[in-house]
Formats: sequence, structure tokens, C-alpha cells
Amino acid sequence: MATITLELPRELPRQTDRSMADTTKQRALDEFLRGIERRALRMTELATASREEALDLVQDAMFGFVRHYADKPEADWPPLFYRVLDNRINDWYRRRQVRNRWIGTFLRSPEDDDEDPVDQAPDPTDPGPVLRLAGSQAAVALDAALRALPHRQRQAFLLRIWEGLDVAATAAAMRCSEGSVKTHLSRALAALRRALKEHL
Amino acid sequence: MNESEPQSWLADARARLDESAQSLDAETLSRLNRARQAALEQRRSRGLRGWRLPAAGLAASCALVLAVVAWYPAGHQAGPAAPAHPIASSDAEVGADDGIEFYQDLEFYAWLDAQEEESGG
Repeated sequence: MATITLELPRELPRQTDRSMADTTKQRALDEFLRGIERRALRMTELATASREEALDLVQDAMFGFVRHYADKPEADWPPLFYRVLDNRINDWYRRRQVRNRWIGTFLRSPEDDDEDPVDQAPDPTDPGPVLRLAGSQAAVALDAALRALPHRQRQAFLLRIWEGLDVAATAAAMRCSEGSVKTHLSRALAALRRALKEHL
Repeated sequence: MNESEPQSWLADARARLDESAQSLDAETLSRLNRARQAALEQRRSRGLRGWRLPAAGLAASCALVLAVVAWYPAGHQAGPAAPAHPIASSDAEVGADDGIEFYQDLEFYAWLDAQEEESGG
């Protein structure tokens, strides 16, 4: 009896494999972002003291991360995501500085010159909008202490202690040396320990 | 991190931060969800675009080749149709003015011309 051999087109399995790989990658990205988004929002909120600004920046960071780094190995995603987010936060600081400079130049009234600059400084004990959520006094104090830290120290603390990145990953996220991470973290810990002595 | 750092207050700080992240309000969570979906959708649509671009390029190339093939013989015939002597050149100009019907009726005109010559002679 004659044997008939059917040759299936080779492209079809390859395309199916590719679409399956795409679906798997898409699911992994979704899980990664879902797992990180709340902490990312809180970190950004601590930096900007604004929920709205934080949501915008986290969304931008998600777009940037997915656009540029989705195809990197999954193990590299956390530092890469925080690197993108850190860029967005730094851009936000720069924009705000420029805006404040322009506003200061054109909209300053003569009465402003008489005001005490200390009165204009943000109150480090002001809980801010975040702390509607965590009612306890310790949470309020922690939030205020974190907001009072310089940005780099705060990032080092949050990425190392809260997010659990190691020194190398934190350095990659903050685009600085591992030595700088250790220095920032050490200073952050000292400042927080002082500020939270009575609360934690 | 300093290894000698007492861990209790750090664990407490982590717990407070976790608590604040877990207790985000529904509207914020919904906006985070929408942001995530939009970011992922961007990747999905880029993937589709990646498929469509080669297909569109192929279709455009085919259309171009067809257009050239369809146009080239007509253009090519116009060249040889231009004869060596001047009278043919003027014929070509007439043809350009009157269109292709003129050439289709050329035999008829030749026959008509012959008839007139015969009747005149």
C-alpha cells in the first residue's frame, strides 16, 4: 500500500510558538507590574507628596518600562522598572524647579520678600495625603520621616529595605555606584532612626 | 545595609509601608489597573504592527510591480511606434491627440483613401 506523507507547513508551528511566547510574556509582565505597582505608587507619592502626580509618573514609568525593557530577562525587571521610575521622578523634580523659578521670577509680589523663608518650607511632620490610609501615629511619623529625607537617601532606603533589592540592583536602579548606595542607605537609616525613635 | 542594624524597627517600618500600600483606595487601584492595561496594550498593538508592516510592505511592492508591468508595455510600444522618417513622427503626434481609436481605425482610413483614389483616378 502506498504511504502518503503529509508535510505540514513549517511556518504555522513557528507562528504559534511565537504567539504563545508573546502571551506568556504578556502574562508575566502583567503579573510583574501588578505586583510592583502599589509600592511604586507609594514610593513616588513619598517623593512628590501628591497622589495625582504619583499616578501619572507611575503610568509613565509603566509605559517606558514595557516599551524599552519588556524583552529583558525577568530577573532584571525590578531594577529596570525602578530605574525608569527614578528617571521620571527626577524629571518631575527638574520640571518643578524650572516652574518654581519662573513663577518666582514673574509672580512674586513685593509682600513675598517680607515673608520668612522658614515659614515657606514644607513641614516635615505634615502627614500628607498618603496617611489618610494608615491611621496610626507610627505610620504618620514614618511617612513624614521618609518625606523629609533627601530623594537619593529615600530611594536607597525604599529600594533596599522595602523592595528588597540587593545593593547591585539598587545601584542599577539609581544609576550610581554600590558604594553610593551604601552611603545613602547608611545616612537614611541614621536619620530615620533619629526621627522614629519614639514611634517604632 | 549595616549588618549590626537592629532589625526590629526596620521590620516595623516595612510592615507600616506594606500596610499603606495594601490599603490604597478603590479609585487609585482602578487607575493603576487602567495604567497597567494601557502599558500592556501598547506592547500588544506594537506586536500586531510588527506583523502588519511586512504584509503592508509586501502588498505595496506587489502593487508597484503590477503598476510598472501594466504601464511599461504601453510606454514601450510608444517608442517603436515612432518611425524613422518625419511623416511617421507627425502621425504619432496625431495619434497622441486623437487617442488609440485612431490607430484602431487606421485600416479603415487606408481602405477609404484607396477607394477615393480609385474613384478619383
